Amino acid sequence: MASEPFFSKPVVPSEQGTSQPKIEGPEAQLSASSGVVSHMSSLAVERDVLGMGAMAGLNGEAAGPGSDAEVMLRVKAGDDGAFDYLVQKYRRAMVSFMYRTAHSSAIAEDLAQEVFLRVYRSRETYEASAKFTTWLYRIATNLAVNYTRDTRHERPENTVSLDEPDENSGQTPDVADGTPTAEEAILQRERLAAIRQRVQALPERQRLAVLMHKYQHMDYRQIAEVLKLSESATKSLLFRAYETLRVQLKEFL
Amino acid sequence: MNCNEIRERMPDLVLGMDAATPELHQHLQTCRECAARMAEVRQTMVLLDEWAAPEPSPYFDVRLRARLREEAASAPAGWMQWFRKPALAVSLAVLMVASVTFFRGGNDGRSGNVPEVLAIAEPGSAVGDLQNLDKNHELLYSDFDVLDELQVQPEVNQNP
Repeated sequence: MASEPFFSKPVVPSEQGTSQPKIEGPEAQLSASSGVVSHMSSLAVERDVLGMGAMAGLNGEAAGPGSDAEVMLRVKAGDDGAFDYLVQKYRRAMVSFMYRTAHSSAIAEDLAQEVFLRVYRSRETYEASAKFTTWLYRIATNLAVNYTRDTRHERPENTVSLDEPDENSGQTPDVADGTPTAEEAILQRERLAAIRQRVQALPERQRLAVLMHKYQHMDYRQIAEVLKLSESATKSLLFRAYETLRVQLKEFL
Repeated sequence: MNCNEIRERMPDLVLGMDAATPELHQHLQTCRECAARMAEVRQTMVLLDEWAAPEPSPYFDVRLRARLREEAASAPAGWMQWFRKPALAVSLAVLMVASVTFFRGGNDGRSGNVPEVLAIAEPGSAVGDLQNLDKNHELLYSDFDVLDELQVQPEVNQNP
């Protein structure tokens, strides 16, 4: 999609690869490459050609050769092509994460861009002791929390109108197509409004945990690291959140 | 494995992030409540899937690129930055040399060779009047101390 790299060096985004399945979470997006990477574009080509993006388990989390932490260290050393690579890899995950916080695609994109700007600004202080995705999602959750707090009084809570276009993007909310009748379409919109409303109404950490677990496909350990909680506390947090959602969405099941 | 333990694992089991063990299968076959709960959790997850997120717009990269450029442009450059632009450095050096030369020339002129530009104009001429006004102005605003020392009449209306 990006015809021009952010900086001078060309990058082939692995996320945009035709053979890559479109899954929002880091597991599907992260992958490892064997050997030390000499150039980010060659890394991306190698991954796409060899189909290494689908390798399970080796998700680029470890700070070894070819990991995202190692790529970030290259950004720290001044390799702007490495930064392009990370943007292409995580932009979809960041936009989707922010969309479920901001409920507007335009604001979600702004916030996702802000995440990458903060990554770039902080490149010189990055330490590979922290996993890259943990660091990235910490930045994203901080931004999401701040946005939610700042706009608490601006947005009418729990009154999502699916009939009106988004005030920022001009688009109507994303409702699946293929409904044969108007009645079904209305029901579908009501369901979607209820989902957004109930998730939004969850306590802050529960909401963030659900967004990361359900929609970003992150496991308890990863979520615990982002939220700086123990794994058992995260498990308990998610259990309570899903129980709340199960009970409150029962009428739509 | 009791009901609570199984119920805690249900979200991960439904999302495929945890593998169901034979023990768990057996429990679900015998415990109706857990089986019903499992079905509800599965339905809840399916329902939550309806909340789809949009793809990044085609302008995402363009906007991010612009913001990065803007930030790079507004970032305060270090003093070493000057040395990376030879033309600017040479221009600055020339300007500095010219300034120093001019400054030194100005000092030499003050040493007494240049005639006094201002001269006292004849009284009654326009220039002379303006010079008198300047002097009066100085008197008005600078000699309050002298005025303060004078005996001031307490009553303005009183005759002397």
